[in-house]
Amino acid sequence: MQSGRFDSVGVDVVAYGAFILAILLLPLFLDDPFWLNRIAKYLVYGMLGVAIALSWGYAGILNLGQGLFFGMGAYMVAMSLKLQSSTSLQQGSDSPVPDFMLWNAQPGAPTELCCISPSSFLWLPFQAQWFGAVMALVVPVVIALALSSAIFRLRVSGVYVAIITLASVLLVRLLIVDAQPLTNGFNGLTDLGWLTVAGFEFDPYLTQTYYIVAVSLSLVLVLTRVLVGTRAGLILQSTRDDPNRARYLGFDVAAYQIFFFTVSAGIAGFAGMLYVIAAEFASPSFMDLAFSITMVVWAAVGGRSSLLGACIGAILINTIEATASESEMFQEAWRAIIGLIFILVVLFLPRGLAGVGQDLTARLIGMARRPSAAPDRQASRDAAE
Amino acid sequence: MSTNNALTIDGLTVNFDGFKAVDGFSTVIEDGELRVVLGPNGAGKTTMMDLISGKTKASAGSVRLYGRDITSRAEHKIARAGIGRKFQIPSIFRDLTVRENFEVAVTRTPGVLSNLRMGLRASERKQVQHIVDLTQLGDVLEKRAGDLSHGQMQWLELGMLIGQESRVILLDEPTAGMTQAETLKTSRIINALKGSHTLLVVEHDMAFVREIAEKITVMHLGKMLAEGKIEQIEKDPAVQDAYLGSGGIH
Repeated sequence: MQSGRFDSVGVDVVAYGAFILAILLLPLFLDDPFWLNRIAKYLVYGMLGVAIALSWGYAGILNLGQGLFFGMGAYMVAMSLKLQSSTSLQQGSDSPVPDFMLWNAQPGAPTELCCISPSSFLWLPFQAQWFGAVMALVVPVVIALALSSAIFRLRVSGVYVAIITLASVLLVRLLIVDAQPLTNGFNGLTDLGWLTVAGFEFDPYLTQTYYIVAVSLSLVLVLTRVLVGTRAGLILQSTRDDPNRARYLGFDVAAYQIFFFTVSAGIAGFAGMLYVIAAEFASPSFMDLAFSITMVVWAAVGGRSSLLGACIGAILINTIEATASESEMFQEAWRAIIGLIFILVVLFLPRGLAGVGQDLTARLIGMARRPSAAPDRQASRDAAE
Repeated sequence: MSTNNALTIDGLTVNFDGFKAVDGFSTVIEDGELRVVLGPNGAGKTTMMDLISGKTKASAGSVRLYGRDITSRAEHKIARAGIGRKFQIPSIFRDLTVRENFEVAVTRTPGVLSNLRMGLRASERKQVQHIVDLTQLGDVLEKRAGDLSHGQMQWLELGMLIGQESRVILLDEPTAGMTQAETLKTSRIINALKGSHTLLVVEHDMAFVREIAEKITVMHLGKMLAEGKIEQIEKDPAVQDAYLGSGGIH
């Protein structure tokens, strides 16, 4: 009776296991630091796909501002890494001072992090690397909690959620660009130091750095998959299908939406942090509208109701994009191609690539069950003899 | 005021910009009773259910559940207090399987954090089995709820209310759009609930009402018009007047 459920869990264990194995073994076959670093960035995008699938697929919340949380995560850790860079450390002051603060400083301002500009003291705690890393999770989570509480307690739903999240990411982008002395504005934070753990420096082109990203993605995938498999995950899906029914069954629908929206934002913030470690910069372009929408496209192509599908969708599209844009011809046409793929998937494959995969496995399992039961037994007897 | 009364509705009123859809409505429903609410279109029957279940906030009056004031609380709090509601259009979780629908319904702990667990408790599993037996949906447990027939969806929703362990169940036209055979099965399920649950049913189908009703309340223009046994109601001249023009009770 329950075989249907067990099968789907079994299939997921195999699929997730195979994917995780593949990304963990990849460095054995790919001996090109440049490409390995590139793939690490795509794995980060894959993590964003997971975040989108969680909020869009499972909670039914179309967040068009996921870049806000990704960007905040990125900036928090980038601030710490900026203070570790050799240029920041060699300004001839007691505390490290980012180069752009000098360029933006008032004449005669003291060259110290505390007081070079009116708000530069905000950078002080970021001298500790762990502080930046912790804030990369805390800040997105706190913002998401506040934003989603306002949205879902007021029972805003559907396209209005998309509009509010979209407006939020643009607002924060504007604030960051505007706060030039504090954030280096439009230029973002570049020339960063490397993540250093117990004396080991994670050069972005090292295999070890790739593994930080790959292991993080594996953990996020597994934990998120477990999370949606809990009762809370099931109840979340029920609030997506019919929020009123869930309410009349006694569930505080907003609490579920807020919780999962915030988890999704936390994943995005974590992804932002990893991206900075691999790419060595943070930029307001992370909060461009186009980037947040691109994430949604990845998830739609991969399959928004599948965490793994959305993750693979993101990695696949970016890998193809990187390969295609090597040739001059595709470079220009790429945006049109990706737009076309998106339209085709939405029209003909509403469950994305994951849906195709699920249908195929269902058919295979069905075929293996019915006619082959007897031959199987025959085969095992043959083998025994 | 005896707490043996399941629902005590007192002077319930809602004012929509001057239009009183429910206007000083009062009634007492005893524990274990099955009450049918009749009334011509626009009498305020569904609005009255909205007021009890918290969908609409009352302008005046009160609703008490076993003596406890639940007037105008949030829907999920009223639901947790013990009121279940079935809608006219089946309201179920279409993308979940029938089993998952039931599993959500029997969850006793409403909070997010307390539901970060796998599987069902033994008591919850027993409860699922109980409603599967009652609704006879055992053959379609793994089916997507959105793919069920109309009748099966209605029973699924009914089953969820029972699984929710609501002491008072509000049913809004539970047989709307059903075939005769389906209506019969529905009346069997409802009759099985008598005694253990208190039911408040809005219904138009008089054959069905005769099948299940004990006591009837007739509403008209947001007010209570008459209350009593079915024979008394059918003879009541005020009721006949109210139904003139809408073709009488049929």
